Amino acid sequence: MIAPATPKTFKVRIKRQDGRDQPAYWQEFEVERRPSQNIIAVLQQIAANPVTTAGEQVEPVVWDSGCLEEVCGSCTMVINGHVRQSCSALVPDLLEDADDNTITVEPMTKFPVVRDLFVDRQRMFDNLVKVKAWVPIDGTHDLGEGPKESPEKQQERYAISRCMTCGCCLEACPQFTLDNDFLGAQAIAQAYYFNEHETGKKLKGERLEALAGPGGVADCGNAQNCVKVCPKEIPLTEAIAKAGRQLTVHAVKKFFTGK
Amino acid sequence: MTAATTSAPVTTRPGAPKPKTRTSVAGPLSQHHFVLRRLHSLSGIVPVGLFVIGHLFTNAQMIWQDNGETFQHEVEFIHSIPALLFIEIALWSAIAFHAGLGLYYTFSGKGNVAAYSYGDNIRYSLQRWTGVIALVFIFFHIATLRWRWDILGLWDTPFYYKGYSVPGMEEQFPALANVPLSAPLTAYALQYSVWVALLYLVGVVAVVFHWSNGLWTAAISWGLTISTGAMKKWGYVCIGLFVALMVFFGAAFVGSLRYDFDAMTPQQKAATLFTVGDGQWAFDDKERLETDLASIGMEAVLLPPEDADETGAAGDERPIVEPSETPGVADDAADHGGDAAH
Ligand code: SF4
Ligand code: SF4
Ligand code: FES
Repeated sequence: MIAPATPKTFKVRIKRQDGRDQPAYWQEFEVERRPSQNIIAVLQQIAANPVTTAGEQVEPVVWDSGCLEEVCGSCTMVINGHVRQSCSALVPDLLEDADDNTITVEPMTKFPVVRDLFVDRQRMFDNLVKVKAWVPIDGTHDLGEGPKESPEKQQERYAISRCMTCGCCLEACPQFTLDNDFLGAQAIAQAYYFNEHETGKKLKGERLEALAGPGGVADCGNAQNCVKVCPKEIPLTEAIAKAGRQLTVHAVKKFFTGK
Repeated sequence: MTAATTSAPVTTRPGAPKPKTRTSVAGPLSQHHFVLRRLHSLSGIVPVGLFVIGHLFTNAQMIWQDNGETFQHEVEFIHSIPALLFIEIALWSAIAFHAGLGLYYTFSGKGNVAAYSYGDNIRYSLQRWTGVIALVFIFFHIATLRWRWDILGLWDTPFYYKGYSVPGMEEQFPALANVPLSAPLTAYALQYSVWVALLYLVGVVAVVFHWSNGLWTAAISWGLTISTGAMKKWGYVCIGLFVALMVFFGAAFVGSLRYDFDAMTPQQKAATLFTVGDGQWAFDDKERLETDLASIGMEAVLLPPEDADETGAAGDERPIVEPSETPGVADDAADHGGDAAH
């Protein structure tokens, strides 16, 4: 028996946009198959020869990437309708469950597009600032030894520390939209992460105030998409629930003590 | 990801336009955002939820085919609660608050089941849809059965109206005072049309799903179930509650649909006919109906469409029972449209 020969090329449909607030449009390219090709490699192949299937010579597609090993989060895109890192999205896997030998690549929809597949994830970093996701030491004087961390807490926090601010959780979240103010799973989880840090605890009250405000934890609708799409497998829903518990306790305390 | 600075300034990429000020909720709503959200959660679970449980349990008594006696007893118990009006107002306020804020929140999110068809995500969207369906259903249910609105003339289905029936009956027919009518009138409403029964089925499933799913998500929001395992276990409890409430509803539903109008007492029959107007279809055994009514000195006035004009009562469906020749049952039997006079 002879297996049908794997086609030597495949098609990539790319959603493009020339700049911020510009209209989006689709272009299709035919790309040669290569061993262990990922989407970044595909985009490089297109850049080397930016001619569409219609034979039109176009500008190379713009994208963002860094580490190429799924730790920086900058290459996140919507590939075949699903948000993920393009550096770890391998062509053979993608074609396996794609119809008509075509892969679609789009920019994330919850962040403003800078150009083509390159989005501006600034809101995530601004949100980290909003929830004061840091340990308050400024290094101006010697604080001595830090407080002890229990191994259990370390384990719990380690899982959350793997966040790479990629935005998958926000892209998949029905409550997070391009123009609302929801903090989203990423910032909520990081706020909880620093609340649980022995030194980071100092800002717990302020963080909880931020989490109680508009766009805070209460806006989560418990769809739990975030935890399913997070490439770092961060237990986001648990972190959200734990932040919710801290807020409940905080609110009750505040009610009775006025502080 | 560890940032170890005291104050990181909000940085903006060069050339990037200023981010739009994002506010999800206007003015006072945003100031008390957290409290409002938690009250929203609470208002759905406690007053509305507890009432619905009690209501479904009471209605489940319709399953006992005992001429509605058990059911009548439960209904009378509820109506004997002091300051019932106060409870009703409290319930309406809770529903209004929950629904108002809920609708607002519903439209602040954007469902994406098509792209991410996880079970939990479907649940998220269902929670929003069932909320809207529940709101429409509850309004319809109360407007027709409690306030006796005849919405668009489609469904004149009276229910427990000011005690036992429409105004005027007891003055007109003292013999019919205090006849237990809760069961027949409920059954009448459900048997009225398949569409009504279907509406109740969909409406109650929506209400019960919305409540039990809300109970599940509330446990996360309030921080009671903080581990995946706990969420799962609590999920089983919520599924159990869903099933239990659906069983109650099933009992009420089956009980209402199988309710035997023919087995009622003559007084119940007369009062039912008087109250529901064109309700003779509910009685299978027309002969028995006639003899029963005759035994208390009444007769059913059959109003076939072609005779309607001649009787002069086409526009006025009541009374559909009237005293037979026996004097003394009512003085003003001829005064058909006399409701207004009372
Ligand atoms: S649980 Fe759902 S609503 Fe909440 S942050 Fe995650 S995806 Fe968004
Ligand atoms: S929590 Fe996960 S999905 Fe969200 S930004 Fe961090 S790594 Fe990405
Ligand atoms: S390039 Fe860093 S995650 Fe893909």
